[in-house]
Amino acid sequence: MATYQEFIQQNEDRDGVRFSWNLWPSSRLEATRLVVPVSCLFTPLKERPDLPPVQYEPVLCSRANCKAVLNPLCQVDFRAKIWACNFCFQRNPFPPSYAGISEVNQPAELMPQFSTIEYIVQRGPTPPLIFLYVVDTCLEEEDLQALKESLQMSLSLLPPNALVGLITFGRMVQVHELSCEGIAKSYVFRGTKDLSSKQIQVGGDKGRPPQPENAGVFVFITRFLQPVHRVDMNLTDLLGELQRDPWPVPQGKRPLRSTGVALSVAVGLLEGTFPNTGARVMLFIGGPPTQGPGMVVGDELKTPIRSWHDIQKDNARHLKKATKYYEAMANRSAVNGHCIDIYACALDQTGLLEMKCLSNLTGGHIVMGDSFNTSLFKQTFQRVFSKDYNGDFRMAFGGVLEVKTSREVKVCGTIGPCVSLNAKGSCVSENEMGIGGTSQWKVCGINPSTTLALYFEVVNQHNAPVPQGGRGVIQFVTQYQHSNTQRRIRVTTIARNWADAQSQIQHIESSFDQEASAVLMARLGVFRAESEEGPDVLRWLDRQLIRLCQKFGQFNKDDPTSFKLSESLSLYPQFMFHLRRSPFLQVFNNSPDESSYYRHHFVRQDLTQSLIMIQPILYSYSFHGPPEPVLLDSSSILPDRILLMDTFFQLVIYHGETIAQWRKAGYQEMAEYENFKQLLLAPLDDAQEILQTRFPMPRYIDTEHGGSQARFLLSKVNPSQTHNNLYAWGQVLRGAPILTDDVSLQTTPLFHHKERRSDLTFPF
Amino acid sequence: MDDLYIKPGNQERGWNDPPQFSYGLQTARGPHRNLLNKRAAPGVGAPPPTPPSSNPLSPPPRGVTPPPLHPARPPLGCVATPPPPLGPMRSQRPADSSQSESEPDVERVVSVLNRALAACRQTVKDQVCSDVAKRLRLLEDSWRSGRLSLPVRRRMDTLSLALQSGQWDSADEIHRSLMVDHVTEVSQWMVGVKRLIAETRKLNPELLEPLQKPADPDQVPAEPDQVPVDPDQVHAGPDQVPVGPDQVPVDPDQVHAGPDQVPVGPDQVPVDPDQVHAGPDQVPAGPDQVPVGPDQVQD
Repeated sequence: MATYQEFIQQNEDRDGVRFSWNLWPSSRLEATRLVVPVSCLFTPLKERPDLPPVQYEPVLCSRANCKAVLNPLCQVDFRAKIWACNFCFQRNPFPPSYAGISEVNQPAELMPQFSTIEYIVQRGPTPPLIFLYVVDTCLEEEDLQALKESLQMSLSLLPPNALVGLITFGRMVQVHELSCEGIAKSYVFRGTKDLSSKQIQVGGDKGRPPQPENAGVFVFITRFLQPVHRVDMNLTDLLGELQRDPWPVPQGKRPLRSTGVALSVAVGLLEGTFPNTGARVMLFIGGPPTQGPGMVVGDELKTPIRSWHDIQKDNARHLKKATKYYEAMANRSAVNGHCIDIYACALDQTGLLEMKCLSNLTGGHIVMGDSFNTSLFKQTFQRVFSKDYNGDFRMAFGGVLEVKTSREVKVCGTIGPCVSLNAKGSCVSENEMGIGGTSQWKVCGINPSTTLALYFEVVNQHNAPVPQGGRGVIQFVTQYQHSNTQRRIRVTTIARNWADAQSQIQHIESSFDQEASAVLMARLGVFRAESEEGPDVLRWLDRQLIRLCQKFGQFNKDDPTSFKLSESLSLYPQFMFHLRRSPFLQVFNNSPDESSYYRHHFVRQDLTQSLIMIQPILYSYSFHGPPEPVLLDSSSILPDRILLMDTFFQLVIYHGETIAQWRKAGYQEMAEYENFKQLLLAPLDDAQEILQTRFPMPRYIDTEHGGSQARFLLSKVNPSQTHNNLYAWGQVLRGAPILTDDVSLQTTPLFHHKERRSDLTFPF
Repeated sequence: MDDLYIKPGNQERGWNDPPQFSYGLQTARGPHRNLLNKRAAPGVGAPPPTPPSSNPLSPPPRGVTPPPLHPARPPLGCVATPPPPLGPMRSQRPADSSQSESEPDVERVVSVLNRALAACRQTVKDQVCSDVAKRLRLLEDSWRSGRLSLPVRRRMDTLSLALQSGQWDSADEIHRSLMVDHVTEVSQWMVGVKRLIAETRKLNPELLEPLQKPADPDQVPAEPDQVPVDPDQVHAGPDQVPVGPDQVPVDPDQVHAGPDQVPVGPDQVPVDPDQVHAGPDQVPAGPDQVPVGPDQVQD
């Protein structure tokens, strides 16, 4: 039998699924004692170059409240042409088109290798993709110029038949009419007053008699949303001629930015014309909204934008109102299946804290940069339009994810870029985790790396026998609009064995996926951090870790050094240690916008990327052998090494002291030190590989021992050596001492009983 | 795709701005060579293993000991990441050498485009045609007045060849690469070329005949693929690594870091003798010349 590691990897590659436990405890009580819930990370549209979609409709279970999809785990009677649903045990006749099936002639969806299968289904005519640019014109000249060029460039990356639209805003909001003929026209809205969807339609049709609904839609299409191939020349000129907002900005004031109304117009425009059609609203902002609904800060420069301190002191005047405004808009947009991206480039905060829900609820991107004239923004923006191995865009729209479970399991909720569709049913648990109370969620914007965390509950009663058949089954059904506008349905069906937690606890332990579990628990922590106080979240995480270690650790009473975890849990404590220090849970040193930004990316990336965010990767390059992963620990900072650290948001190349001196002396330019030159190049090469694929582009830091930017590395490593303990343990340590009073991984309360909390019965 | 290069990010506008990859590098993505996703497993609960240091308490040596000269085994022979076949640093402009030998001819490029436009006139609306014509004039003016950089001129040359031989996808791809890599220079007129590609693609083959016969037989260019790879490409090397500014302060690439800068230089005057030195593809780099690809200097 394959090892669990191979099994886990195979499941991720084939089905895009990573479960916390790969053997499931057979009763509710035993499941809660395992601390980490039965849960999984699921990547609905994981790229599968080897999986050609089939061109027919899925076969559904005929029971009205089941409708599970025929899958390889179903029992099939080939002679009677009947299949038994493995969720509700209903016996279903095959449709007539399946008359020819037999043991040797099976349809794809019955073959074991198609535990994940994708169907192309016909659902009437498919409208083209829609891209609506909403552009802030209160930018510096240089930024506006760079942004205009990026927008012009993007017209070349869009599919020719895509519809585009342009809204610009400053003090006023302008909706631009895109026609191929005549002079440029636009409709102007005041930026201070919100408009209903109806008003926007009427506003667009000013002076015309009311028209039947369809005619109205037509007017909108022809005026404001046009196929790229028809208007690209005019739109290029229009973009080229965009000017900075003409209203004067007095000294000591911020420019007036009507972001709220501009978005409202954009959402209303799409709502009125293309509900339930894949569309992207792309918002480009260079500062916070300063007037009208959704205003985040006033225009007086002397009043700074809210900080964490203001929020804690309940001193952020516009926070609640603005958040509520954008949440309502995000929900409206989600109902229509449209996603909203935010590209915020400014040195100060732009109000992402208030606006984050626009992207978080609709599956849109948030990109945060210093200026539109940076490689970070330009390339990240280009990558929004990147294509896959088939030449299709890596974006899909209007996703609906449905989860079906066998009787012993219920779904508690999801954490990811989605909204609930409030679909009650027998698979829905009363115990909510994340966005719960439903078995269906809408993910308006979805790409191959979009990953949801799903939490389950085992409902089998204690002492009840291990369920018949020995396996629990979960089916994920994802309906979406492909970027080539086809409607598709992807179905993934997985099963795991039940195990009796009393007699088989060691098997359950070895089925533990510590990487998935760390990310799943971290998502729960981040989800809590949105509504709870920081210290409470940390305490909750600590308690979970301690309980897990109590359950599975081996130790002699009162002897901390005897503590041991088996291999399947060995990395888990350090993941938690770094998570506690991460910007996802610590807001110190980050603005509210930055925290929102980091969390936005954390709750949507796949396992590998999420884990990099929790515990950055550190590789060491030296003359002593090939590059090797080293502990994210101050002891790894050595003079004759080059380190490459990847934190997801930053890439740091750090040259140790000796290496830096050699480099300064120019050895790399001497022919006889070719090997040194190669050593210097190796981490650059590897960094480049990461830079070429990461979305969003990370910041890139090339530094050395003693360099001011070395702080990016020093703040992340475990401070096993500090100025306090440099000479501890009787010998001088190798590595770099970190000037910090933080506790290190070796001295956290978990491993030292003196700091244990009184409400926990800690075993040491 | 030719033109694989990396240029530094805009450090003035964004702190630690990452390097910028050319369109060719972004799209021609080989398989992952080496995923850096491993972690070292610690022995938790105990201090990290600390091999005794050689002599940490003594003052650091005044001079630096040089790096090992002849290591027992090739130092990075077994690097986790062998250089990729597609790697940007080694595979500089694979099949573009033919064009680098001669200055792209504005007459020929413009004439191909104009003939393509003429072929479209029968089917495409007048207004669109005149709009395209306007943009082609803009292109010609920019070219003749020396406002187009060498890589743009070269790629336009390749684009016109692709258009002439009916390779629409390839022409379209070159148009995209120009929009991504050189948007400042080309955005105003490129959209006309883009429309031209889209319209000629739809035309009947017989309408395309005048386009496909070369205007002047003398100017038929050599097949790019037949030209052997220029040995100078080997020199393309290390300067293209994404280096931060604090690393190599005199890196010549950085002088041109700002993408808005219209390159001013010898390349613009076709008869200038300096042009011969435009890049390593043409003349082996002199000892004081930093071996950079021509694109970099331009960008």
